[in-house]
Amino acid sequence: MDYRKNEMKVDTFLVTVIFALIAISSFTLYTLIDHLPANIRGQNFHIRQGIWFTLGAIGIAMIMILDFDRYRKLAWPLYILGVGMLAGLFVLPWGFEANGATRWYLLPTNQTIQPSEFMKVFLAITLAHVIARHNEKWQTKNLTYDLVLLGKIVGLTLPPLVLIAIQPDVGSSLVILSIAAFLILVSGIRWRVILVIMAIAAGIATVITVLYLTFTAQVTTFIESTPFRHIIYRVQAWQDPHLYEDGSAMQVIKSMQSIGSGQLFGKGIGVYDVYIPERHTDMIFTAIAEQFGFIGSSVVIVLYFLMIYRIIQIALECKDPFGTYLCVGIVGMFAYQIFQNIGMSIQLLPLTGLPLPFLSYGGTSLLIYMAAIGLILNVHSRKRSFMFETEDN
Amino acid sequence: MAIKKQKSHLPLRLNLLFFAIFLLFSLLILQLGVVQILYGQDAQEEIDRTENVTSQTPVPRGRFFDRNGEMLVDNNATFAITYTPRKNVQPDDNLELAETLVNYIDIDPESVTQRNIEDYWIMQNTEEAASRLTDEELTGNDQEQYYSMLEHISEDDLNSITDEELEVIAVKRELDQAYELTPHIIKRDEISQEEYAIIAENLTRLPGINVTTDWERVDTQDGTFSNFIGRITSAEEGLPRQRLDYFLSRNYSRNDRVGRSGLEEQYENYLSGHKEVRRHETDSSGRVINSELIRQGERGKDLVLSVDIQLQKQLDQIVQEELENAINAYPQRNQHMDDAMAVMMDPNTGEILAMSGQTYNREDGEFIDNSNRVLSHAFMPGSTVKGATILAGIDSGVISPGEVINDRPINIAGTAEKSSYRNLGNVNDIEALKLSSNVYMFLTALRMGGEFDYQEGENVNVGASGYYDMVNYFKQFGFGVETGVDFPSESTGFRGSVEGREDIGGIMMDLAIGQHETYTTLQLAQYASTIANGGYRMEPRIVKQIHDPISAEGLGPVYEVREPKALNKIGMEDQYLDRVREGFRQAFQETNGTGYSEFDDAEYSPAGKTGTAQEYIYHDDGSRTDVENLSLVGYAPHDEPEVSFAIIVPKTGIVRDMNETQYSANLKIGRRALDAYFDLKEQRGEEAEELEEQEE
Repeated sequence: MDYRKNEMKVDTFLVTVIFALIAISSFTLYTLIDHLPANIRGQNFHIRQGIWFTLGAIGIAMIMILDFDRYRKLAWPLYILGVGMLAGLFVLPWGFEANGATRWYLLPTNQTIQPSEFMKVFLAITLAHVIARHNEKWQTKNLTYDLVLLGKIVGLTLPPLVLIAIQPDVGSSLVILSIAAFLILVSGIRWRVILVIMAIAAGIATVITVLYLTFTAQVTTFIESTPFRHIIYRVQAWQDPHLYEDGSAMQVIKSMQSIGSGQLFGKGIGVYDVYIPERHTDMIFTAIAEQFGFIGSSVVIVLYFLMIYRIIQIALECKDPFGTYLCVGIVGMFAYQIFQNIGMSIQLLPLTGLPLPFLSYGGTSLLIYMAAIGLILNVHSRKRSFMFETEDN
Repeated sequence: MAIKKQKSHLPLRLNLLFFAIFLLFSLLILQLGVVQILYGQDAQEEIDRTENVTSQTPVPRGRFFDRNGEMLVDNNATFAITYTPRKNVQPDDNLELAETLVNYIDIDPESVTQRNIEDYWIMQNTEEAASRLTDEELTGNDQEQYYSMLEHISEDDLNSITDEELEVIAVKRELDQAYELTPHIIKRDEISQEEYAIIAENLTRLPGINVTTDWERVDTQDGTFSNFIGRITSAEEGLPRQRLDYFLSRNYSRNDRVGRSGLEEQYENYLSGHKEVRRHETDSSGRVINSELIRQGERGKDLVLSVDIQLQKQLDQIVQEELENAINAYPQRNQHMDDAMAVMMDPNTGEILAMSGQTYNREDGEFIDNSNRVLSHAFMPGSTVKGATILAGIDSGVISPGEVINDRPINIAGTAEKSSYRNLGNVNDIEALKLSSNVYMFLTALRMGGEFDYQEGENVNVGASGYYDMVNYFKQFGFGVETGVDFPSESTGFRGSVEGREDIGGIMMDLAIGQHETYTTLQLAQYASTIANGGYRMEPRIVKQIHDPISAEGLGPVYEVREPKALNKIGMEDQYLDRVREGFRQAFQETNGTGYSEFDDAEYSPAGKTGTAQEYIYHDDGSRTDVENLSLVGYAPHDEPEVSFAIIVPKTGIVRDMNETQYSANLKIGRRALDAYFDLKEQRGEEAEELEEQEE
């Protein structure tokens, strides 16, 4: 085994794609220097992003030292740590509130960290472990197998989901849901059960939609009385941004103007006609779309697609089910965030506060995504040992 | 093996997953294509449609000071809650805002009209209102349908409006009055500190709402001279409708408070200051993207008046007291008397020192300050004009200086006898002024009209050209023309005409003794000043200097000095004018002079001319009462006049019984006014000396 470890191979394809995304991110942040709100204008986000990326690369290297198999043993401690951090937001004194939501811890360095970002990866590891373990134990598939596995997944997903939802942070909750949903699909639960789950989910979604459309006023009033009132505003803003005064409606209008006016080829480097506040974080896609138009934004989407394609390929090639599940969980995280972030800026979906992986500026989130890629690379680098095994067989 | 078996489902599901992601990403690219390629041009056009709109924030108006730097009008800052609507605000937006706002402020629903309530009811019950329309009504256009809806609203509907909703309506009513991008004051008075704080805290929930300070005019002199200072419009009134175009073309906003009368109106350009101008860049949805300060606001300029507010206060009091005294002395005879006017000015510069017009309200015994009547109301002046008549006569050569004329009744065929108040015998020009000879004036007038050979009981032969000569001489003193005072409006009095008249001689004789044209008190004061200062008709000035605003208490640097302006110099030689001045002096200072009784012991060498004009009051029932206007012009000291004045006390009763005396309110006011002037001067001199001594 030892000599094979020395053969550990880095997946150049995936690394190249990530490099390309980071390069685009730093470049875009550089062009935005003069187009940010006055209070943060002086900060060189492109350089900072580079530093975070370097830190992330070091993180990847450290993750690569251990065989990914070893992270299985860390699954439970990580899960407990993640949930603990989320719960701590409500009890510990370091919770940091902004815009009416408590999502962050304030570090002594005056930086904030967002535990829900950690939770995404921790949940992917834990669920991957639990599913792999379940399949190792249960030899025959029957309804009990399905329901017990489903119960485990749901049981593990619910605590972080609820803790994030009540922050409130609808965006991150949906990411958690997406990770769980992707894993349920590949966990081995048989189609009949999955179809039933999908039917139930579709049913609930239909009921909510019909309720909203029929009793718009009552539903609106009800939701307005809960901490989730901003959801209704964002849905309204998404339906017809010109009708509503809410800030998110403005965001949608601005975003659509910015992206739309980029047209086919874009306006050129550093040309911004539309001012969008905080454009360096969640709305960074608009910066690319305005500068480089349809061509540029398509390139970004294709890059993301290649990234996901490659991760799924690694998942397929991996002979260790834990590795496969881990990859799928991370795909669930990335795919949803990318689709949601870009979708909301082109009015395909309502607004949520989610960063665009690798492109948006943001310390913790970038580190987490790099770590996730580190895990994938780890899975890839170790797959050969199993291939030998298979071939030996 | 077990592992292998279990993994068999994986490739299929992973591929399915991958395919789903592929579809979703394709959807992204498809939508991007729609947004960027299909509607990209539209988005660009939408961006290009941004507009620049400017907004202007009001600044405090300039203040008023008297000639000695005493403040007359100041500004008080008050808290105000304003609403600045974005562009294209819809009624629903205002309703929503009103519903939020009503939680934070109290607005008195008293101003709410029934129509406001009806509009609100329709907004809240649109479907119900629409369902009540008959088929016929439904054929109408939107506006007609709306009116039909209004008609269908019942008492019950209106009664269903709660008090709370009424407040919402009141707030919405205020919001609806605002013009886009222009701050409109929703509530100014009686804003509690609490309301202010709550609003300030919740500004983010209240789009367009702001808390600012507004300015209120404060009269620091309890109404003294306020009649001339005038008024400004309230924010609700905004620009006066009749001058809307004038102001709008000068970049005023509709709800700006502007001077609507008096000096506030006259000096609006100086007092208004420069509003703070900001340019807002708005996009097609009317939202402000960017705000830029174009011009820093500057408070209005301060005005220093020529008026001495201490003298003004004393003059007001003197006029009131003497009016009351006259009425109390002969209540029956003076039953129609109700006002008196006085003007004091510096004859050398035309600066007005004080102007007072007081009206006595017989019902409640109170006085009403009607000071601007000194320039808006004209009266028969009587003999006060005789100085002008003498000068006209001498200058035109019809009488020679010192010419003696026998004052005895004049009888012209077909007219009533005309005489002086008593037969004065032989008088020269100076004595004619001292004793106020009518006959001297009559004969002067006749001669000017070409009749040098008056024979008792016969017709006179007088042509119109003499009349015009005389009128032109009078005009040189300001009679019948504008004084040029810096006030929005002034009357020039009634000017007769001889067009087609047979009795030009009679008219000229009346004109010569002040019984034909009517003049304002200010015109008389200008006339007195012209005689006093050696023949220069000075333009009366109320505002002396204009100062740039400074933030500190006192006055800023001088922006503009309104220099004295001589409108014309009378055409008569100085030596003739000196004869008239001597006549005026004797009238006040020599025994038998018409003003001697009051001015005999004055130490400041006063000079002047009394006057009594016959007037009639026509009653509602068509009957007529004869009354007299008592007038007085003068100046002091005789040698170097520093103050001139004119007084009119209209509608005094006529003394029928020779044993009764007249209460000469005109003389009393004149004497006390001059006393007040010189006492004040002396007092100030002493104070200044004391101050100097202290400094030494």
